[in-house]
Amino acid sequence: MKTPSASVLDLRHNGPMLDDRNAELMTLIDRVAQQDQAALRSLYDLTSSKLYGLALKVLGKPEWAEDALQDTFLQVWRSAADYRATLSPPMAWLGLMVRSRSLDLLRRRKAEREHLTEEIDEHLADTLEGDAPDPMNTSLASQQAWALHQCLDRLEHRQRQAVSLAYLRDLSHSELAEQLRLPLGTVKTWIRRGLDHLRQCMARYA
Amino acid sequence: MNIHRHPELLDRLAAAWALGTLRGGARRRFEALAREQAPVRAAALLWESRVAGMTELQRETSPPPAVWTRIDNLVRAERERNATQQARLTVPKQQGGWFRSLLLWRGAAGAGALATVLAIVTAGQIREDLGAQVQDLQARLQTAPQVEYVAVLNDDQAGPAMLVTFDPNNQRLTLQRVGGYQEASDKSLQLWALPPGSAPRSLGVLTRERLLQLAAGEGDVQNVPALAVSLEPQGGVPSERGPTGPVLFKGALIQKML
Repeated sequence: MKTPSASVLDLRHNGPMLDDRNAELMTLIDRVAQQDQAALRSLYDLTSSKLYGLALKVLGKPEWAEDALQDTFLQVWRSAADYRATLSPPMAWLGLMVRSRSLDLLRRRKAEREHLTEEIDEHLADTLEGDAPDPMNTSLASQQAWALHQCLDRLEHRQRQAVSLAYLRDLSHSELAEQLRLPLGTVKTWIRRGLDHLRQCMARYA
Repeated sequence: MNIHRHPELLDRLAAAWALGTLRGGARRRFEALAREQAPVRAAALLWESRVAGMTELQRETSPPPAVWTRIDNLVRAERERNATQQARLTVPKQQGGWFRSLLLWRGAAGAGALATVLAIVTAGQIREDLGAQVQDLQARLQTAPQVEYVAVLNDDQAGPAMLVTFDPNNQRLTLQRVGGYQEASDKSLQLWALPPGSAPRSLGVLTRERLLQLAAGEGDVQNVPALAVSLEPQGGVPSERGPTGPVLFKGALIQKML
């Protein structure tokens, strides 16, 4: 993986290869829209590790991540015909679907077992332990995600984690503080600085 | 306030809105502005797609193979449900016949004699329609899949590896792989009937799909107490030679009583 030097931003992300990959995924989604089951299988083979990794990050629990992945592919089967109209790169469309299915699932689980909310929070509250930088994975990532990766990469590891988790798990400042076991003020500062940095950095990619 | 005259503030709010940390009243006010003012909406959507990139940057982890099996089963079930609904929608076209007669019957209710005559005609019509529908149902039952024989083949750890069913109406065996086993690309799995007192008889070579069908007659499975799957060179071996590779899965074949 390329590590950007402090002064030079890498504005391109293996362009032609990415175009080929996207074209392949889009063709598969079109075929799924025609109710082609073999195409659904190929799409799953190409993307499931990526999407399962995302569901795990949001939900923390393998069984739930499996359910979210299953819900996502059922939704892909039913709504592939709507894909083109979204104007999204294919992985972004799939990623958003996994996130929203995962958040739905989390809400349902919490509603079903109100008294277990604490246990669920307990489960999610492990993410910042260990200071090893969480390697972000840019394979299959869209141009937009690549830019975000470049910008996030310049944040301090824990700030980057806080910004990512806020979005992926749809957390407020105080929920985030709880899950990360950090003072609310610290979390607010990290998020504010993180967003300021992202704003300046992303503007360069326009 | 004309927020889009303050580009930095707009950018900051839009970014916090997209990340989800703009909450409560501030969030609602921002959303109201976005609905009214296109530049605000544009900023919000731009940030929404920027932060969405985070979904693409997470570490890859392979899901367990069972997840695909579940998806595949659910998709199949959904297809079948849709097909059945489609069939139900297209079949009873004849209904209009007796419904029209019913309207006619109502209209004529005042004229007693005429009504009686019509009622008889209508009853006849209903009987005819019913007869046609029963015939149609019978015809469909003839072709609908029926399961007469079932086998669950287990691997050497006694874990289920394959479900086999025989449908006499359509003269075919349906095989569903249920374990995670996948043969190497230069090998094929072959299904065998194990009749008592004689050599194994090949029922066919399996393709790589999780769900597949093989043509088979009733005679192929009658009085066969067990089935087995062996690992063979790609394309399988001739039936007369019998299995040459190891037997991977095996199980009793049971005839259903109902």
